[in-house]
Amino acid sequence: MSREGRRLDHGGGGGDDVAGGVGVLVLSLDLLGQVLDRLRDPRDRKACRLVSRAFERAEAAHRRALRALRREPLPRLLLRAFPALERLDLSACASLDDACLAAAVAGAAGAGDLRIRRVCLARASGVGWRGLEALVAACPRLEAVDLSHCVGAGDREAAALAAAAGLRELKLEKCLGVTDMGLAKVVVGCPRLEKLSVKWCREISDIGIDLLAKKCPELRSLDISYLQVGNESLRSISSLEKLEELAMSVDVSRCDHVTSQGLASLVDGRNFFQKLYAADCLHEIGQCFLSKLATLKGTLTALKLDGLEVSDSLLSAIGEDCVNLVEIGLSKCSCVTDEGISSLVARCSHLKKIDLTCCNLITNSALDSIAENCRMVECLRLESCSLINEKGLERIATRCPNLKEIDLTDCGVNDAALQHLAKCSELLILKLGLCSNISDKGLTFISLNCTKLVELDLYRCNSITDDGLAALASGCKRIKQLNLCYCNKITDSGLGHLALLEELTNLELRCLVRITGIGISSIATGCKSLIELDLKRCYSVDDAGLWALARYALNLRQLTISYCQVTGLGLCHLLSSLKCLQDIKMVHLSWVSIEGFEMALRAACGRLKKLKMLSGLKTVLSPDLLQLLQAYGCRIRWVNKPLVYKDG
Amino acid sequence: MVDNGSQPSCHAGDIAQQQQAVNTDLTCLIVQLISTAELTDGTVGGGIEIDNVVEEQDTKDVDEGGDAGMDGENLPPGSYELLQLEKDEILAPHTHFCAICGKGFKRDANLRMHMRGHGDEYKSPAALAKPPRDASVENAVVKRYSCPFVGCKRNKLHKNFQPLKTILCVKNHYKRSHCEKSHTCSRCHTKKFSVLADLKTHEKHCGRDKWLCSCGTSFSRKDKLFAHVALFQGHTPALPSEEPKASSDQAGLVGSQQEPAKLASSIDSFMWGNSLSNDSALDVKGLESCSDDFLSTANYGSFNFSFGRLDEFIGSSSESSFAMLPPDHFQSAQKRGGN
Repeated sequence: MSREGRRLDHGGGGGDDVAGGVGVLVLSLDLLGQVLDRLRDPRDRKACRLVSRAFERAEAAHRRALRALRREPLPRLLLRAFPALERLDLSACASLDDACLAAAVAGAAGAGDLRIRRVCLARASGVGWRGLEALVAACPRLEAVDLSHCVGAGDREAAALAAAAGLRELKLEKCLGVTDMGLAKVVVGCPRLEKLSVKWCREISDIGIDLLAKKCPELRSLDISYLQVGNESLRSISSLEKLEELAMSVDVSRCDHVTSQGLASLVDGRNFFQKLYAADCLHEIGQCFLSKLATLKGTLTALKLDGLEVSDSLLSAIGEDCVNLVEIGLSKCSCVTDEGISSLVARCSHLKKIDLTCCNLITNSALDSIAENCRMVECLRLESCSLINEKGLERIATRCPNLKEIDLTDCGVNDAALQHLAKCSELLILKLGLCSNISDKGLTFISLNCTKLVELDLYRCNSITDDGLAALASGCKRIKQLNLCYCNKITDSGLGHLALLEELTNLELRCLVRITGIGISSIATGCKSLIELDLKRCYSVDDAGLWALARYALNLRQLTISYCQVTGLGLCHLLSSLKCLQDIKMVHLSWVSIEGFEMALRAACGRLKKLKMLSGLKTVLSPDLLQLLQAYGCRIRWVNKPLVYKDG
Repeated sequence: MVDNGSQPSCHAGDIAQQQQAVNTDLTCLIVQLISTAELTDGTVGGGIEIDNVVEEQDTKDVDEGGDAGMDGENLPPGSYELLQLEKDEILAPHTHFCAICGKGFKRDANLRMHMRGHGDEYKSPAALAKPPRDASVENAVVKRYSCPFVGCKRNKLHKNFQPLKTILCVKNHYKRSHCEKSHTCSRCHTKKFSVLADLKTHEKHCGRDKWLCSCGTSFSRKDKLFAHVALFQGHTPALPSEEPKASSDQAGLVGSQQEPAKLASSIDSFMWGNSLSNDSALDVKGLESCSDDFLSTANYGSFNFSFGRLDEFIGSSSESSFAMLPPDHFQSAQKRGGN
């Protein structure tokens, strides 16, 4: 650093004398690092390091977590800039592939310099076994890897990960190529595994789970949901002594491989068992399982029995046996009645999360019982409980101040209910889809008090107008996810209000026929954090909106512009400018010519991972373009939909 | 019926048995004589001694012990007719011969087709028709065959003689047991066969579903492999694309540890578009330029193939990948690379 630079910092102080420095420089690098550690928001940290070189140096030396959005600076960041890095998040890194990953860690291999412990590569579909091998070789302290949703990942990738002998946590959700062989490699190579998720890896069978149970005795948390496994696996799993959490939900189509006895044998004699997610596993619950539940009296905290046919006596038994229950899931269970709920919550006063989706027999009296007994409740899911109205919600809102999440989709909610709900100032997630009785008045109530609101779902609440959005933007400034699909009274001025929401990341505006490019421009300039935008059937949106997005919405990763009035020029500019765009749906862009599509897709082909287009284009686009897209790992969905204009 | 070289039956009690058998089958034998006589007339001149086939007819060797399990049908020694073909006859590909010109055919149908060329009398439906099977159904005499190789268990002279059922069985047996194996499996290159049909059957199963462990042991089923892996420390299943490494102490990590070393060298050869050092041109410059240009053609050039897909492209040499670029761009890339 030059002398001039230092002098600027000192503001006139002595030359090299740090001790005599002014302001921040009084503190040593170490202390500055500690200060930075206490800053939670990454933007605050960024502000600090932009302001002072001392902070910048402190941050570089102490920085523990990195979330890379672009891949070019990775080598410099990983190898030179941040030596103390422990957590690396590459899930949002655009166009990350094996070569890049290998290059980013290449200098460290052998020297073992990298201290990285946790790596997240969720949805990084360009990464394969070569990149993973390089990563594992360079990071000897690797403890946790998240490879979820890399649908192309298979046994070779698992084998690459197996080289990390110290691995403790591994998420392989939706890694569709992983079979028993890959799983075997992992369990043999990583005997210290504590948390494993192989959800949706349908190639895994009882044989693989059996080997897992034999080789990984330290396993505490296991997720085998949606696998083709049955009672055999449960028997194997019951030998895992330290198992605390088990998730084994299955398809709604009802897996017949698991019986009540199997679950019972699993639960038997377990001392630490905490969570059991067994949605749709059973048709009915047998007495053996129930009696075993009693053995878990003290420890069971989470129980999910979605899709089960329950009875009042069953719920009562659960309430009696599992008094420490914190989470109960009864989504889509039939015959859940008010009495059952009452008997359940009467004893489980610690409940924080109650899922009663589609339990349509529930009425306000159930809500009364909940409000009475479970004062600490934080998450309440009442989708499709249509008998509920504002009276029950009033009780809840008054008695349960900690309420953070409530799902009232398709319930009989009106403005009065929202007025009551507004009392919950801790509210973070509010879902009001299909509640057409809600109007701007209700929104105003919410916006006045629920300032911490993060997610708001107003799907098909078609009484909402621009004024409601104005209230929202002034009150709930932290909103990140907003769904306004089919609220067709909204116009550009409403979107202008939304532009004030700087933290907005996901915005869905389907079928808002009155908004035009002007509204989109204001969104693009105002919402700097926008990542996902859905403009399907916004028939009046034209190239002007796209130009604005191309210029300002540089963080955009997912975009839907089906049925919009865009031309080839706008599309080309959009796809060549947005460097982070990975997923685009553009069905029925009738004003775009074939050449327009060609140019646009060629401009973005290195970055796109998912693409949805009209199937008629399959024969018309040049075959080498399609080959090129495939070579880059882009998945194309061809749809065959007639061109029909809908209003809502 | 002439007994050529038939062995006299020695035991008195057996003679009676023999005569009984002969009596009961007499009519059928006569019928057979007539039909075989016709056959002999028709195929004379081929140079093949079919006479042997027909006329060499041994009375049963009643001495044979080892009746147990013979044919699986418990045919008592006296109840069948035993034939023995000569070695040349067995190995000959042609079994049917034209009486007029001596041309040989594998199948009787082909011979009949050929006969049409020798005159009109062979074109009649009767001559062309397949010889009726009724005769063989009515033929109550069961034929069995002996292998000409002396010392073989299927040879009539053997103490525990087990006859063969049909001529095809004789052929297959002779080739398998007494001939050298000339056909080799094209997949494993180790198994050899003398009978082509055996080779084809083997190829159906060869190399399929081989479950390998890292120690080199192979298993026919997945659960067997997993039971083996569960039992021993340090063994892992070996994925098909990797060879089983002889890993001793390391828990199956040997193989994958070798790869990163190779990776470093292979990166240079792979990444003609991207690289570790800042020297080679196409990489960072290409990327930077395309951030500014609107529809920059540099986009075409700065390919960053992820390795998994690179295999297809690299296999067909990098020229073909370059072929996708317009030629002047290729040259400019070369120039930049030369800097």
